[in-house]
Amino acid sequence: MTVAVEYYVLLSAALFCIGLFGVLTRKNALMFLMSVEIMLNAANINLIAFSFYHGNLTGQVFALFTMALAAAEVAIGLGIILVLYRNFEGIDVTVPAAMRW
Amino acid sequence: MALVQLESWMALAPTLLLALSALALFVIDSIDPDTTNRPLLAGTATVGSLASLAVAVWFITTGVGDPARRGELALFGDQLIVDQMALFFMVIVAVVTALISIASYDYLRGHVYQSEYYSLVLLAATGMSTMATANSLVTVFIALELASLPSYALVSILKDNRGSVEAGLKYFLIGALSSAIFVYGISLVYGATGHLQLEAVAENVGAEGFDGLLGVGVLMVIGGVAYKTASVPFHFWAPEAYEGAPAPIAAFLSSASKAAGFVIAFRIFTTAFPLEAMTEIGFDWTMAFVVLAIVTMTVGNFAAATQENVKRMLAYSSVGHAGYALIGLAGLAVDGGQIVLAAAMMHLFVYGFMNTGAFLFVAMAEYWGVGRTFEDYNGLSSQAPVACGALAVFMFSLAGVPPFGGFFSKYFLFTGILETASGNPWLLAVAAALVINSALSLYYYARLVKAVWFEDPVAGRGQLTQPTGLYVAVVLAGVMTVLVLPGFGPVADAAYAAASALGP
Repeated sequence: MTVAVEYYVLLSAALFCIGLFGVLTRKNALMFLMSVEIMLNAANINLIAFSFYHGNLTGQVFALFTMALAAAEVAIGLGIILVLYRNFEGIDVTVPAAMRW
Repeated sequence: MALVQLESWMALAPTLLLALSALALFVIDSIDPDTTNRPLLAGTATVGSLASLAVAVWFITTGVGDPARRGELALFGDQLIVDQMALFFMVIVAVVTALISIASYDYLRGHVYQSEYYSLVLLAATGMSTMATANSLVTVFIALELASLPSYALVSILKDNRGSVEAGLKYFLIGALSSAIFVYGISLVYGATGHLQLEAVAENVGAEGFDGLLGVGVLMVIGGVAYKTASVPFHFWAPEAYEGAPAPIAAFLSSASKAAGFVIAFRIFTTAFPLEAMTEIGFDWTMAFVVLAIVTMTVGNFAAATQENVKRMLAYSSVGHAGYALIGLAGLAVDGGQIVLAAAMMHLFVYGFMNTGAFLFVAMAEYWGVGRTFEDYNGLSSQAPVACGALAVFMFSLAGVPPFGGFFSKYFLFTGILETASGNPWLLAVAAALVINSALSLYYYARLVKAVWFEDPVAGRGQLTQPTGLYVAVVLAGVMTVLVLPGFGPVADAAYAAASALGP
């Protein structure tokens, strides 16, 4: 007895929205990074569930790539957050606001 | 005919040369981590990008990718494809990278992280060059990240400069968000079609019955592309990132990165989401691009007109130009529209020279330390007439004033839209927006020319030096912007060939 693919899509959509909500409301740069990770993992759930549904491995392989790229993105992000901390004495993303349109 | 028979993977040589020179810079850096041998580092980067350019041009002239001559080369199980459009955009990326490397020679004087800078530039260029060849949503995403990740680091490379760090942070945050949206969109497209390779996606559009998911997925893919091309609704990062970044990096991002964003947009939407099948399931994406094109060019140009800061003005103008290039997708139709697509490619080609040149002039002004606003630029021509002459060329070309390259690409865009407008009356609105925005843009471009040439010089400005590398890069870009005029025939032919091979 397998779970229908619609439920996986529902789960991933919920995760995606949670991540998006975090991105829009959190001020802490680290929380922002975590929210983006949740969004990426929502995509992974979709890829793996549909890979099973369609019976090909493309989606699973792509999910592996996504994880690797997410790790690389976090590495760069932490570097930027580090220089942010050194320059602004904090990691609140709303503080650096010298440039406005 | 050929003296030697090249292996098919050699078709990726323009990309591989960029990657190799990035690795060469790593080797130099690991032998002498504290090296500040600027001629060696800038020279390696320049030679690498010029070699990439030479090979790409050689491939185009010998007919690689031309279906009638040597044929398109699909590599690694169709994950990458080397066709005329790929080579055309490889040329743009290589040209911009070469100009940036030459200009950075002076700009980075006294900078601590020299070899890191150049290797990151070349890695980003490798990513953009790969984006031109990507033929599967997997390779599109990987190449896009390969282009984005070094760019985040490059924007914030002035680690003690608060503006640079702020710019890097904003660029990274919006970039991470939009790449998450993009990959979620890809996962939905995969769910609806069961494939990631673009032709396979096209064959399965509407076949599995998840049409709603496919529609949402396509919208999210548009979002990811809009970020990379700095179009509405993901254009917010552009002014901040360009203003805070070192000026050569701003030039790199606004020319090469934008062109690379457009090449994936062109390829994904013409190959993976064929209009015929998409219209059948009730999702005509040209409509989305009609709206995006009009809004993007209007927002970009109106915001540019109100700026006091020159770099910010150029940043918004670059958003406006993204709107012009989006017309290429808005004008596609089931049975035509390649003319508009070709015109958009030509515009990106000309834009690669004129916009890079304009940002490099700003780099020169930062090198001189004259300030950032229009008033600070007053009367620069009395001290640096050659560079200011080149600036006038860039500005009038960006505005689309006749004798320069920018006029021709806009003219082709305009006539192309009118030609295809019979099928889609909304295109007349796009054409009107193009004309109105071009007229408006002349105001703020001319304002900079007026400040530089006609205003009295600011009192108390010291003697200006003549940085060789920056001068060479600016003058080269200026000469190319003018030379595109007699050379427009081959460029136009290449663009037409690339667009019609793509065909919807």
